[in-house]
Amino acid sequence: MAKMFLNELIINNAAPIVDWDLFWSSLGPMIEGGIKNTIPLTLISFACGLVIAVLTALARISTSKILAGIARVYVSAIRGTPLLVQLFIIFYGLPNLGNAFVLDPFPSACIAFSLNVGAYASEIIRASILSVPKGQWEAGYTIGMTYRQTLFRIILPQATRVSIPPLSNSFISLVKDTSLASQILVVELFRRSQEIAARTYDFLQLYLTAALLYWIICFILSIIQGRIEKRLDRYVAK
Amino acid sequence: MLISVKNLHKSFGDLDVLRGVDLEIPKGNVVAIIGPSGSGKTTFLRCLNALEMPNKGTFSFSDGFELDFARSPKKEEILKLRRKSGMVFQSYNLFPHKTALENVMEGPVIVQRKKKEEVRVKAEELLKKVGLAEKMHLYPHQLSGGQQQRVGIARALAIEPELMLFDEPTSALDPELVGEVLSVMRELAKEGQTMAVVTHELKFAEDVADHVMFIDGGVIVEQGPPEEILKSPKEARTKQFLDRVLNPS
Ligand SMILES: Nc1ncnc2c1ncn2[C@@H]1O[C@H](COP(=O)(O)OP(=O)(O)OP(=O)(O)O)[C@@H](O)[C@H]1O
Ligand SMILES: [Mg+2]
Repeated sequence: MAKMFLNELIINNAAPIVDWDLFWSSLGPMIEGGIKNTIPLTLISFACGLVIAVLTALARISTSKILAGIARVYVSAIRGTPLLVQLFIIFYGLPNLGNAFVLDPFPSACIAFSLNVGAYASEIIRASILSVPKGQWEAGYTIGMTYRQTLFRIILPQATRVSIPPLSNSFISLVKDTSLASQILVVELFRRSQEIAARTYDFLQLYLTAALLYWIICFILSIIQGRIEKRLDRYVAK
Repeated sequence: MLISVKNLHKSFGDLDVLRGVDLEIPKGNVVAIIGPSGSGKTTFLRCLNALEMPNKGTFSFSDGFELDFARSPKKEEILKLRRKSGMVFQSYNLFPHKTALENVMEGPVIVQRKKKEEVRVKAEELLKKVGLAEKMHLYPHQLSGGQQQRVGIARALAIEPELMLFDEPTSALDPELVGEVLSVMRELAKEGQTMAVVTHELKFAEDVADHVMFIDGGVIVEQGPPEEILKSPKEARTKQFLDRVLNPS
């Protein structure tokens, strides 16, 4: 029985395991999708997300109960809901509120991913600010610095070093998460592979190719991550 | 009087750590603060530059500047107070991402907004004075404890404080490194720098201090010239403490 099933499989997949022509011809559109959408989406969302994250982290450690409360609710809501659902709410859901809320796929994705990075990275930044010894704040104060001067000149540079490894991980996750944008019609790397697969039925090969491309991007990023960490080594209190 | 402290109170929750401390420091004097562990020495020093906010008490400076902690002072007043004093910490607390020179320059450049070139010249002089002319471009983690503490002293001096505060500046150091820090402090005292020093180095207190204050349980038990307090204390608690420090076993 098992043998018969196996035979059938082999017969049905008589085609060569890798169709090299398809491989080379599919690379172009996928890389184009990567360059035109995946990478810009990642960079824009990460940059906006970091700004949101720093502000949220500062709100959370601030003495204002209201600011801290708002920041908390925001982080909790984003972390407690699936990214895919957030994308659908912004792209498919918001238009129900009126024409002003109809957004193109790319900006919709940017908003969703920025909010996402903002929430997750704010926790990283908050923890890294709190990891700087209290004595560093005090040393800033005793030479007459204000809260703001101490924060920006003394605390954040040290917190940055602490937060680089987890933030790089967030960045690498973001690269992969942008594939979800294919679900709201952003023609990025993965959507290109889906489009080609829909024509040729070579699902396995095309999705593997997409996976390979993501892997290469992330591999390069992890090398850059290592370099940055080495350079920032002296920023840690020892 | 450079500064007079009156009726200083500080509590942490239910714990009354300082219960009415009065102290006057004449300009150019060195006050040594001694007392058993947990008696409130660090807290007292930290109150002097509002790292801890006193619950009650007043500070008055010779230039007429006054702070009354009973009515919570404004931010600007706190900043003004802090800019009058420099603090040297037991654990140095140097900025690890800045070189020795940058550590020293930070206050004058960022807080006092002086010109960088001028500050650099002065900072280099200060580092020379604490014996670190060769080390000024090194980062804190490249320096020994004694060297780090001397950078700490130079950093505090850089803002030209009227009053220098030292909280057990040598107690985190290996014994062979204590001398180099104390000798810098002796030098400062000789130059007429007003200082308040929490210390366990009784020899140093005896040699350098003009005034010794023994604090226990959040009150000043006894104060006076060093020969009086350290050699012939009147209070039983002072005697007991000195006995324990001089004959540990
Ligand atoms: N931030 C704080 N919160 C609560 N209690 C504190 C705090 N800081 C100090 N205390 C308490 O206040 C008391 C006095 O502490 P302080 O550090 O001033 O003592 P000290 O005389 O400097 O002692 P040592 O010689 O051990 O340094 C101690 O009982 C300490 O536990
Ligand atoms: Mg202490």
